[in-house]
This record gives sequence, structure tokens and C-alpha cells, in this order.
Amino acid sequence: MPNLKDLKTRISSVKSTRKITSAMKMVAASKLRRAQELAESSRVYAESLSLILSSLSGGSKDNSDLPEVLVGRANPKVALLIINSSDRGLCGGFNSTLFRSAVAWIKDKKSKNIEVKLMPIGKKASAFYKRSDLEIIENFEDINSNDRQLEVSENVKNKISELFESQVIDEVSILYNKFVSAIAQEPTFKSLIPLEQSESEEGSEETTNSSFEFEPDKNELLEYLIPRNFMTQVYGCILESSAAEHAARMTSMDNATRNAGDMIDSLTMTYNRTRQAVITKELIEIISGAEAV
Amino acid sequence: MIELKVVSTQKVIFQKEVEMAVLPGTEGDFAAMPGHSPFISSLRPGQMVIMANNKVEESFFVSGGLVMLKEKVCEVLVDQIEPLSDITNSNFQQSKTYQELEGNDLALNTFEQVVNTPSYK
Repeated sequence: MPNLKDLKTRISSVKSTRKITSAMKMVAASKLRRAQELAESSRVYAESLSLILSSLSGGSKDNSDLPEVLVGRANPKVALLIINSSDRGLCGGFNSTLFRSAVAWIKDKKSKNIEVKLMPIGKKASAFYKRSDLEIIENFEDINSNDRQLEVSENVKNKISELFESQVIDEVSILYNKFVSAIAQEPTFKSLIPLEQSESEEGSEETTNSSFEFEPDKNELLEYLIPRNFMTQVYGCILESSAAEHAARMTSMDNATRNAGDMIDSLTMTYNRTRQAVITKELIEIISGAEAV
Repeated sequence: MIELKVVSTQKVIFQKEVEMAVLPGTEGDFAAMPGHSPFISSLRPGQMVIMANNKVEESFFVSGGLVMLKEKVCEVLVDQIEPLSDITNSNFQQSKTYQELEGNDLALNTFEQVVNTPSYK
């Protein structure tokens, strides 16, 4: 028979866990709203920028006059993967699904004889890859504040431009959790070098066909624009991933709170049954004692 | 009227209908007016103004960026922007933009110049 006192302490400890998880859920929910707003408002800039970029590069059908950093190198040997994880845990499968897709991606690259180097963002990714045999170029941690997010994207931009120039890397991709809805996140790859011409269908007809005039000329503008585009893309991914992180934490903490509630119910039930059994036992003892006399 | 949309990496700063806007392009100032031919340019640090009835209505300092000008829309992607209405010679060094631009001497000098002797007033 379970000990009554043990049951009681167990119940109270589960109760305090429930308090913690429900508080975390509330905090995540309010942070999610802020992160979502931020991601949304930064999207305008990114969209305009990629529209300009596609009208600059889309004008000519022939890719040969475009810079390498836009169209990529012919025989890539080294690929860089930027993995955008979270700094903290307790957010369900947020990081593990991300790493699972990273592992598959790396395997795929290896089968094509492409060496993979990594640039983890967030503590979880650096911890995960610390002991792997892949080369880590640089870690970025503590990406909680908005200023820091901007700073990190700036640094990432500088680093990849420098590495690409010096022929250390030939391809760059970024992996992040895309914010689909408050209950769904999706690990997503985005290619930065060569640049993915993303969802410009709506603007493509309008921009590529109309003849924009450029000032200064195309190549100079591209030179100015491409690094800026890296930064915006990376920044966008970081913001998106942070919104997704809060969403993941919110749902997993919601589940945890519910599970704790269920557990408290069943423990309370056991506690009451046990208490009743103890009383019954005592009564029987008294009655049988009285009969014996 | 032309729709002027000013955006930074973080947010849309403002979006409104204007008669004319003058922007500091890398190769010289230009005016954005309805019916302008499609045009893309980068910006140098300088003064951006919104004009109405041949008068300067609002004045800004921009530290650089890009413009995409279409027939009825002018999209300005700015790095940093500071409205000049509250900025005077004595307080411009305290402004957020000034502090963010630290180390970028060209932009800082232009900022000072725009505050003291604006090309459009």
C-alpha cells in the first residue's frame, strides 16, 4: 500500500511543476506575439529587396555576366550550413527535428562529395555539434534581444562574404524553423549562395519585363545589394525562428500543464482511496478486537 | 500624387501620398514624382525631403539605402533615417541615428552638414 505521506509530497511537487509550466506558457505566448510582429514588419524590407534583386538579375536570361556570389560556382566542393536553433530548451521537438533534417542534409551533401562546414546559431546547435567531426567555423549564442539578432546577422553576413571571397566555401545554406502557425513549425532550408529566387512570381512579370533604369550601373548596384540581401535573409530567418521557438514552447508547455493536471487527478484519487483503506482497516481491527473480548 | 513608402530592416517607417519627394541618389539628387520612368538607385548619405506646393514639407536625414521607383510608387529602403524637425545644431549628436552611425565618418559629416546647411529648406 502506498505511503500516504509520500503521496502527499508527490502531489504538491507536481502542483508546483504545473505552476511553473503554466507560467512559462504565458510568458511564451506574450513573447510569441512580439516576435511575430517583429518578423512580420521586417518582411516588408526583405520582400522589396528581393524584388529589386530579381529585377536586377532577371533582366538578362544569360547568367554568365552575373557575379558568382549570386549564381554559385560550377563545381561546389565545400558547403556551409548555418543552423539556426534556440538558446534554451523546454520547447518540445523544436531543436531535435531541426537537427534531424540537418543530419539528412549533411549526409546527402557527403554522398555528392561535398564537404560540409557548420555555423551554429543558438546554444543548442553549438552544444549538439561540439563533438561532431564537422568543422565549426563560428558559433553565435545568446540571440534573445533584437539588437543582438541584428548584430548576429551582420556578423554572419561579413563572415560568409569573406569566406566565399577567399574560396573557402562554395555554397551557403541556412536551416531554420519556419513559423507555420502557433502549433506547427517546419524545418526549412534556404540557399543563400547560389541565391534562391524565391516567390517572385507575383512581381516577376511586372519587374523583369519593365525596363528599370539603374543608377549606378547593374554590377555596382549588385555589389552593394548582395551583402545587404544576405544580412536581411539571415535576419529574417532568425526572427522567424524565434517566433517559431516561442510557439513551440507555448504548445509544449500547454501540454505539460495539462499532463500535470491529469497526474494530480490520478494521484489525488490514489491518495483518497488509500486514506479510505487505512480507515477501513482500523475499523476492522477495532471491531474484531471488540468481538474477541 | 505618388505613394512614398519608407522601410527599414525592422519596420515600415511611414507610407503616405506625397506630391514630390527628393532623394539623395548615389550619382546625384533626384525627384520622385508620379509618372517617373521605372528606376532603381542606391542612396548616399544625405537629405531626403517631401515637397508640397514647391515648399519643403518634411525633411529627413538618410544614411544610405536603396530606392525602387515605379510609376505611382516610390519605395525607399533606408539604413538609418532621422526626421530633422526636432534636430538642431546643438542636439544632433545625441540622436539615436548619430550614435548608431559611429565610425562612419562620411555619414556623420553629412549628417552635420544636413543639419547646419541643408540643401533644401
